Amino acid sequence: MKGGVLLQIDIFGWLNGILGWVSGVLSWVLGIVDAVLAFVWSVIIWVWDLAWANFFLLFKAIVFPGLVFILMLIIFDVWFTRKVWARVQDRRGPFHLGKYGGLQLFADAIKLVAKETIIPEGAKRWMFRFLPGFLLVVVLLPFVFIPWSSTWIIADLSVSLVLVFAFLTAVPVIALLTGWVSGSKYTLIGGFRAANNQFAAEIPLIVSSAGPALLAGSLSILNISQAQSQLWYVLILPISFVTFLVSGIASIGLVPLDAPVADSEVIFGWRTELPGIYFTMTYFAEFAKQVLYSALMVAFFFGGSYGVPTFPPVLNFFLKFLVVLFFFIVVTSSFYRIRQDQIVKYSWKYLMPLSVINIVIALIALVYVPGLAGLLVQGG
Amino acid sequence: MSPDIGDEAVEIWFGPQHVSAHGWAAKLTVVGDYIVECDPHAGYFHRSAEKVLEFRTFKQGGLVLERMCMLEAFLAEYPYISAVEQIAGMEIPERAKVLRTIMMEASRIHSLQFWWGQLSAELGLFAMTLWPWVDREFFLDTFEELTGSRHAASFSTPGGIRYDFTDKVRQKLLRAIGRLESNLPKFKDMLLRSPTFKMRTKDVGLFNAEDGIKWGLSGPNIKSCGIPMDLRKDWPDPNLAYDLADWEVPVYENPEHPGQSDAYDRMVQRFMEIETSVSIIKQLLDQIPDGPIVDPKARAKANRLPAGEAYGRVEGTRGITTVWLKTQDKAQTPWRAKIRGPCFASYYSLKHMVPGSTFADFVVVFGSLDPYPGWWDR
Amino acid sequence: MSDISPSDFAGSLIRSYPTVTIESKSGQSLMISVTPSMIRDVVQFIADNLPMALPESVFGVDLEDDNYELIYIFWSHPARLLCQIRVQLKGETPSIPTVSDIFPGLEWHERETHEMFGIEFEGHPDLRPLLLPDELVGKYPLRKRFKTDRSRLAESGLPIVKPRPRPKKEEGSGK
Repeated sequence: MKGGVLLQIDIFGWLNGILGWVSGVLSWVLGIVDAVLAFVWSVIIWVWDLAWANFFLLFKAIVFPGLVFILMLIIFDVWFTRKVWARVQDRRGPFHLGKYGGLQLFADAIKLVAKETIIPEGAKRWMFRFLPGFLLVVVLLPFVFIPWSSTWIIADLSVSLVLVFAFLTAVPVIALLTGWVSGSKYTLIGGFRAANNQFAAEIPLIVSSAGPALLAGSLSILNISQAQSQLWYVLILPISFVTFLVSGIASIGLVPLDAPVADSEVIFGWRTELPGIYFTMTYFAEFAKQVLYSALMVAFFFGGSYGVPTFPPVLNFFLKFLVVLFFFIVVTSSFYRIRQDQIVKYSWKYLMPLSVINIVIALIALVYVPGLAGLLVQGG
Repeated sequence: MSPDIGDEAVEIWFGPQHVSAHGWAAKLTVVGDYIVECDPHAGYFHRSAEKVLEFRTFKQGGLVLERMCMLEAFLAEYPYISAVEQIAGMEIPERAKVLRTIMMEASRIHSLQFWWGQLSAELGLFAMTLWPWVDREFFLDTFEELTGSRHAASFSTPGGIRYDFTDKVRQKLLRAIGRLESNLPKFKDMLLRSPTFKMRTKDVGLFNAEDGIKWGLSGPNIKSCGIPMDLRKDWPDPNLAYDLADWEVPVYENPEHPGQSDAYDRMVQRFMEIETSVSIIKQLLDQIPDGPIVDPKARAKANRLPAGEAYGRVEGTRGITTVWLKTQDKAQTPWRAKIRGPCFASYYSLKHMVPGSTFADFVVVFGSLDPYPGWWDR
Repeated sequence: MSDISPSDFAGSLIRSYPTVTIESKSGQSLMISVTPSMIRDVVQFIADNLPMALPESVFGVDLEDDNYELIYIFWSHPARLLCQIRVQLKGETPSIPTVSDIFPGLEWHERETHEMFGIEFEGHPDLRPLLLPDELVGKYPLRKRFKTDRSRLAESGLPIVKPRPRPKKEEGSGK
């Protein structure tokens, strides 16, 4: 054999090379994985350290007075409203699912969430999708400042009272926008009615919450509630409490003042076109506002977490909250709906002067009733 | 929309898919919060009853009439049966006359209870909706005990009635009336003295008696203007027993605006109607004579009627309810039957009554007239 | 308000309009027959002279062969008097002056009679169909020649299914 080159392969060498190559690739990959794992691990360690350091804050924000608790409270509120309404109306209310119908609301929520999302043709699609969730977020934010007790409060600011009303002012704007982008005449009317309600109710609401703030000498809700250790403000500001309740009902849009969602007139107001999940969000937002106003009333007028001394403060607050919520619901179940112009007229002609007059009376009483001023604890 | 209204006007369809518009629709032209034009549309409930009646025998016709208004079924079937009886020249047994009258009044009460619950629902207070409806159940139980059906019972028939009163029916009726009587003062207090109810209904849907009569309104809507127009007194019917009871036509005239009627007056008027009906029933229950409930020979006459015309009229819950009947000789079916439902006029009169009121008051004006779509669409 | 007895009212109506024939059915009921051209005058007379005249209804009756009868019914509560005005009409689409400006309550009754019988009301403000769906507008369903049997199935556009032939009875099984 001449002229040819014998190609010789060192087969064993070649095999050895493969092994080396494979192990090289593997070690490269493992190195990368190792680095990534090390990074992830360091992140986890960092987050864990952070969480451990702020464990109490996180627990408060997520579990107890925070998101989970508030959502459970809203669900309870829906159930409680339905039960109380049913009792007032000579019915039984939900009773099939769970004990006393307690699981009915979860079933309802699942049903509503599972519904098809239908967006009307005339609607602005993205705003229509965005606004209901935004509304729920805006309504849930003020719960940060609710003082369930001096420790069980997520955050305290020296101006939290102002901030709560600042958040709540956004609600009718969102309602109006939702009504507008839904592309229907009825939703637009409902949106304007919601704006009108807030326009009517907001000033009496803020003025009647100014009384507690003045007496406590603070704009922090925590300080206002803590300042009532000697004397509940409802005793010297009873009219303010009533005006707060009524204008609160108007601001939420519950039955006697529910022109924005009056079903016999404007179908469901600004919520008419909302499908399943979006409707659920706005529905929850309404009940969240109801819970919020009840909690605010307890903090402003009913001595916050003070009460039976042997009870834990949170329990004191919660029991009073339940009583106020019950009162709230009973009030909303026993009047005829009044008209849009009448809401504005009665809010401005009666509620606003009344709430101012009560502050004046309280101040005069502080000066002339001996011993009353000593009962007030100045906070903040 | 009229061209002279201007650019600010918006047209809004109230119905037919609206929550409180069940079976009707009105096109409202709105400027701001005020309605300037109302164009009611009928026909969503049309079942061509007048044509159907031409193909039903005289005994079957009452069943068609009942379905015009299920709430006052005992009253609604009567004008047709009355017309048939007039053409045939039937005499019906005394017992049937009294029982017919009792059941017609019971039907009127339960229809009014339904109506006032519905108006309360439209005004946003569901407690006042469901409380009278609980009382109403007792009347429906009575009907069920008597006839086996809760609403459309086909109680009257040419020549008498089809179901006899038993002691159990009597007890149930007395129980329903007793419950109504014990609750009625409470309800009256809660409605007529409620400030929010007054705010919503006073001076809403105001009209003059003269206008109302020209529009064709009748029944409680006109009686609340102070005019005692009631066919039970004005149009004595030999086959009914209203003359056995001692009663006055209930008339409410508001001293604030005599000769006019608003939604509040109509509410008061209908409460008085209930009280009158209760008193009539209680008196007649003591005067039920013994005897047959139907005369078989007279009933057999309804198989074939002679040629003739008759006009059966009755004071329904909502106003004058009539059937005009024309037959040909030896006819098994009517040649022409014209139903005049009382709500035809009340629905039409929205066109004149609503302009000028606010959008929110539209349901109140509409609801206070006690409308039922079956009566205008037929 | 002046109380007026049926005979007084009938007398004054006869005196004003001698061509009208009046027939009294019972003490409370009058049957007035007029010609189509006079209907506005008579209804105006009722509006002026019969206290609180309630327009109960207007409706048509098909007498076959293009003959129609139009019946106006008024009820006066103070006089306890029921007036039925009867008008004979003839023609493919007969016409008659409207009275809806005298009694606004008759506006819809005339509208309904127009769509059901094809009777034209001259000067009526609004003769849109009232009750009928679009398919039946112009078919005048309360006329006797409007058939409701199977002969009109083709109009509906639905598939025509022939009725199934009845099974013949087997002998001896009829008992």
